[in-house]
Amino acid sequence: MSAAAEAHEHHGPPPIHYSSRINPAVLGIFLFIGSEIMLFGSFFTAYFFDRIVANPAQWPPLNEAGVPFERPWFLALINTLILVTSSFTIHWATVSCKKGNRAGLQAGMVLTFLLGLTFLLTQVIEYHRIGFNTNDTAFAATFFGLTGLHGCHVFIGLLILLVITIRAFRGHFSPSAHHGLEVGGIYWHFVDVMWIVVYVTVYVL
Amino acid sequence: MTRGSIFKLFAYAVVAGAITTAVAVFIPWLPTAATRQADRMWFSIWFAEIIAIVVFAVVAAALIYCVVEFRVKPGDTSDGPPTHGHTMLEIIWTAIPTVIVIAITIVAAIVIHDNGKAGTNPLVIKVVTQQFTYQFEYPNGKTFNILRLPKDRNVKLDLSSKDVIHSFWVPAFGQKTDAVPGITTSIVITPTRTGYYPIICTQLCGLGHALMRSEAIVLESTEYDSWYASAGEAPAAAAGGTDGKSVYTAAGCGACHVFTAGGSAGTIGSSLDNLSVDAAKAGEELNDFIRSSITDPDTFLAPGYAKGVMPSTYKSSISGAQLDSLVQYLAENTK
Amino acid sequence: MASKANHHPSAARQRFGSDWRAGRITAWLTTVDHKRVGLLYIWTTLGFFAVGGVLALLMRAQLATPNENFLTRGSYNQVLTIHGTTMIFLVIVPILAGFGNFLVPLMIGARDMAFPRLNALSYWLFLLGGIVLLSSFWAGHGAAQGGWTSYVPLSTLHMPGHGEDFWILGLHILSISSLVGAINFIVTIHNMRTSGMTWTRIPLFIWAILTYAWLLVIVLPTLSAGLTMMLLDRQWGTHFFDPVHGGSPILYQHVFWFFGHPEVYIMILPAMGIISEIIPVFARKPIFGYKAVAYSTVGIAFFSLLVWAHHMFSTGLPVGLDSFFMLSSMVIAVPTGVKIFNWLATLWRGNISFDTPMLWSLGFIGVFTLGGLSGIFLAAFPIDWQLTDTYFVVAHLHYVLFGGSMFAVFAGLYYWWPKMFGRLLDERLGKLHFALVLIGFNVTFLPQHFLGLLGMPRRVYTYRPGGIWEVYNVISTVGSFLMAVGMLVFVLNVVITARSGRRASNDPWLADTLEWYTTSPPPAWNFDRLPYISNARPLRDVRRRLEAERWK
Repeated sequence: MSAAAEAHEHHGPPPIHYSSRINPAVLGIFLFIGSEIMLFGSFFTAYFFDRIVANPAQWPPLNEAGVPFERPWFLALINTLILVTSSFTIHWATVSCKKGNRAGLQAGMVLTFLLGLTFLLTQVIEYHRIGFNTNDTAFAATFFGLTGLHGCHVFIGLLILLVITIRAFRGHFSPSAHHGLEVGGIYWHFVDVMWIVVYVTVYVL
Repeated sequence: MTRGSIFKLFAYAVVAGAITTAVAVFIPWLPTAATRQADRMWFSIWFAEIIAIVVFAVVAAALIYCVVEFRVKPGDTSDGPPTHGHTMLEIIWTAIPTVIVIAITIVAAIVIHDNGKAGTNPLVIKVVTQQFTYQFEYPNGKTFNILRLPKDRNVKLDLSSKDVIHSFWVPAFGQKTDAVPGITTSIVITPTRTGYYPIICTQLCGLGHALMRSEAIVLESTEYDSWYASAGEAPAAAAGGTDGKSVYTAAGCGACHVFTAGGSAGTIGSSLDNLSVDAAKAGEELNDFIRSSITDPDTFLAPGYAKGVMPSTYKSSISGAQLDSLVQYLAENTK
Repeated sequence: MASKANHHPSAARQRFGSDWRAGRITAWLTTVDHKRVGLLYIWTTLGFFAVGGVLALLMRAQLATPNENFLTRGSYNQVLTIHGTTMIFLVIVPILAGFGNFLVPLMIGARDMAFPRLNALSYWLFLLGGIVLLSSFWAGHGAAQGGWTSYVPLSTLHMPGHGEDFWILGLHILSISSLVGAINFIVTIHNMRTSGMTWTRIPLFIWAILTYAWLLVIVLPTLSAGLTMMLLDRQWGTHFFDPVHGGSPILYQHVFWFFGHPEVYIMILPAMGIISEIIPVFARKPIFGYKAVAYSTVGIAFFSLLVWAHHMFSTGLPVGLDSFFMLSSMVIAVPTGVKIFNWLATLWRGNISFDTPMLWSLGFIGVFTLGGLSGIFLAAFPIDWQLTDTYFVVAHLHYVLFGGSMFAVFAGLYYWWPKMFGRLLDERLGKLHFALVLIGFNVTFLPQHFLGLLGMPRRVYTYRPGGIWEVYNVISTVGSFLMAVGMLVFVLNVVITARSGRRASNDPWLADTLEWYTTSPPPAWNFDRLPYISNARPLRDVRRRLEAERWK
């Protein structure tokens, strides 16, 4: 807006002044992820508190038959690889978008969505066959608490991916305007990284 | 600053300090200490109190001085001097409070260290809490609803809870600790004055929280020894006693219920003197009614009483034989 | 966002309407204007304040004499729980958000918040959360009865009915609302400052709101997690907190207080920010030690994250841990003291005028000093062993939250009322309001210190007759009703001045910050033009420039 226009139209607001180079939406999603980390942190706290302070003797605790609860670490490892791969595919989609390669963007988004969906379905099947339930001791509570909380995030992430994918096919996003893609991508990367931490904590340690 | 203003400021501080000190000294703040730990506690409270009075006097004096001396003159629209800050002052009023709080921390740490010492061979009493009653289990396995303590001996109280979080507090003992389900907490006391002291639950524990009280009696050690040897009251429910009245006492029924024969006047639950009336209302035979009301308290509710108030833990915490004798005792003695 | 900058002003005017305040109800329901959202927040919280106040009066009536039967024990526990929760989550935190909403864009010279629609969302979620929370009175077995801390296992295994579930759901909604609002504040303050508004030139209230928002982002998720675990324990049979199955009630306290203690500073830091704005204006001096006040705000926030377990001194933590938390809690007294000393130094040699906002601010300093000092006692853990969960704590927390936060809120209301509504509140009624509340407040809560020291536990619906307890309790009840009369004077003031109040100029107090640069009330787009900000008192520069031009 020119100074002349400003003088001409007296009763308007002055132009918006941005005091930071970071985009507001990107800063917002990073703050939101910060709060998500605190949310997961609380469930990790619950896990380690129950493990170290409340049940120092035996972890996982014994079930009714007197043997420790089994955690299907191998299946979860495969699932981890699936989710980590999806991080690379969404990165590919973003790079393609920035280069103006729409086919790459579309293929990347579809792949990411399918990988995420596979992860979630695998986890549902795992819950079904795991052999213990939410009310079997505090171990089960924290196990289902952490993996379930993460599952909810994957679900929300899938909805976001779905919207982005549809938009990609409708011709949205361009090399110069792709905040929607970028913000969704940041969230999906967060979901992936958080899973690695959850996996190591719940299945491996 | 002129000499006059310093004098005025000082005078305000003295007046504010004097008023606060008067409040501190003339209003009875604390119960008379009845344990060695409470003596140390009172010391740390007064230590912090004196510091607080000085700090308050300084702040109040500065505030009053500003209000009195720097009020704007009518018609004066000028600004005050544009002083933006003073680094040395900032350093000073950061450093002095730091020193003060560290001093309080050190005193407090010493007090807690001394108060935690149980010495060799303390008398260990288990305090078992549940809604809304205390039980005190002595080393010989006997359980009472009133805490009797010998004077001048270290006593270690081990607290546990059967249901929710409760607390054990005797104001004159200067000690308080929560009884948390799943863990054992403890406090050490060394009574120094004989007498009767109220035991108070301070942690919100349900509807009867306000009435969850007991009594601590500090006896001369000779009196305590003779009481302990004769062990006046009956053995605990937990220890296997099956006499009806002693089960009534040990299970803590009296904390919540009126029962003339048992000498109790609790007001949380319904009156056990009216059991026959209530049984008639419920349409059950008296003995069956009493039994089901103990094991399954929510099936019939006396008018005006809510569900979930009476603990449902008695099903498992009282043995079959004890339950039989308790039912019989209640049926025989109700009006 | 980028497209917005291209809007021609006339287009903006078309969008906002030519007279944004002459709105129908729908204009308020659909508003995304930060000023309207802010006012919605403030009106709604004042309504909830009335509800919480009535609940408090019910409790004081019950406790006026021993063995009173005004309330039943069940309803007393419901009333105390909802009173505490309402005052914290529905009054103090959101009314500060209301001030923030109204003031932040004005103070930093922005047109609106960074995300106006999210801003409206956070208000409507707040209203919904409040309604859900209060509707728990109509749940089976009545409202939640566990106190605002709602300790487990009382509130999981031993609380039948759905009042507690309503309570959990209400707090969940409220914490999402606050989280969204907090992210909005941070992004706005970070991104939307006008030219020249550097970090050392933003008003101290902005520092306070920024810190408030950061604390909310960090600790609110912890509350959400704790509430989720509690809900799962209640309704899904999990055992996060059940010691019989390997859980721990202490875990809940850690999670709750990691949120709960910073929450205290969430409630006091913006209040201190308000005080830091008002005192320089009425002392006609710049704030003494701008940087010291700003850094102490951040310092308090930082230490507040390290002190939570001082609420758990009586749960048998290891002595080493207790000692750490004692020291960190004590250290918070230092930056708090720095603030008080800087305010006093600002007053020093000023030309102080005693308008109502200033009276509330001076009252704040006096009362908050007392509250801070009684906090020292609770931070020292052997002393805490004697005092925790007694009326001493009740007295302490009301000295800092009522005498602190609410005094500052009223200071802020009297101060910014002309900016919000274009009319000043009446000074004489304002002073009467202040006098009644100041006296009533001290009469209510000073005796409660003594009650606690002598052995009265908190959260009891009755006590035994005899002794000096009865006297203190009667005094306390009388004081609470005196305060209620004071609040009625405030209502009267608002009603009377709504039509006949003195009209306010742009800058009725000769203040220094940017919100006074625009009209009272401001237009939808806030500013027609903005000066380049060259120091922390832009309006003083403008006044001096005008003065100089007049003499030319």
